[in-house]
Amino acid sequence: MFLTVLFFLSATLTIASGIMVVVVRNLMHSCMALLGCFIGVAGLYVTLGANFIAAVQFMVYVGGVIILMLFAIMLTGNKPEEKVGSFLLPAMGNRRTLTWGLITALVFFLSVGKILLGMFGIGLGKKTAPTDPSLFESTVDEIGTLLLTDHVLAFEMSSVLLLGALIGAAIIARPETSKEK
Amino acid sequence: MGLAPYLIISMILFILGIVVMMARKNIIAILLGIELILNASALNFVAYSRFLTNNIDGHIFSLFIIVVAAAEAAVGLAIVIRFFQVRKSIHIDEAVWLNDEV
Repeated sequence: MFLTVLFFLSATLTIASGIMVVVVRNLMHSCMALLGCFIGVAGLYVTLGANFIAAVQFMVYVGGVIILMLFAIMLTGNKPEEKVGSFLLPAMGNRRTLTWGLITALVFFLSVGKILLGMFGIGLGKKTAPTDPSLFESTVDEIGTLLLTDHVLAFEMSSVLLLGALIGAAIIARPETSKEK
Repeated sequence: MGLAPYLIISMILFILGIVVMMARKNIIAILLGIELILNASALNFVAYSRFLTNNIDGHIFSLFIIVVAAAEAAVGLAIVIRFFQVRKSIHIDEAVWLNDEV
């Protein structure tokens, strides 16, 4: 019962915030809508029994990536987009990009929807959850064991990736000071 | 809840991300669209891991997706800030030259 309520709340929050990311004109408000979308996805992870992933989603996305995006938006001024070009539709670039975006969305919706319908038609939808595990059982020890046994190479390489991203971001975003010399 | 609602939510998130990437003209908005798409794929991995297999490998994939998305956001926003320092704009149509010659 609790999980059903949580599922519907999270799904509504996710989809409504996702639509707001698309249509809202101000970029700051769009970023805030993306925050709501991430919180909704974390709730969906909880209904799937993935507690650790939900916690990581909260810490990395809601606590890290959104703050980074907000700082980037504030550092770049958040000018209204009308000043840059002649836009007929304020949030959406110009009419040509809006048209192509909608056409792509339609094609993607039709193709993926047909694939999904085919999958459920041949009986995938009839499979239920294997065994209903107690949903608040911790998955941390299993994930830790898998990360340090089967996936240890990817784990170590992700640490190198994060180090490289950190140094690269610091070097790229450094202000230009060599002109005075 | 079965597998189908999660797949439909994931599909909607993916389509919204694609619309943001194609239709908006702001570079940071395009990065927001990429984050939406990465979230959709991670949600798909966890949903399949819950409903089709008994193991937890989908959680590992989802974790690595989150790690790579964080690194991508950091480097992408650094590039955006550098671009803004050079061009005083974050409009995507300005980004047609790699050098600041023009």
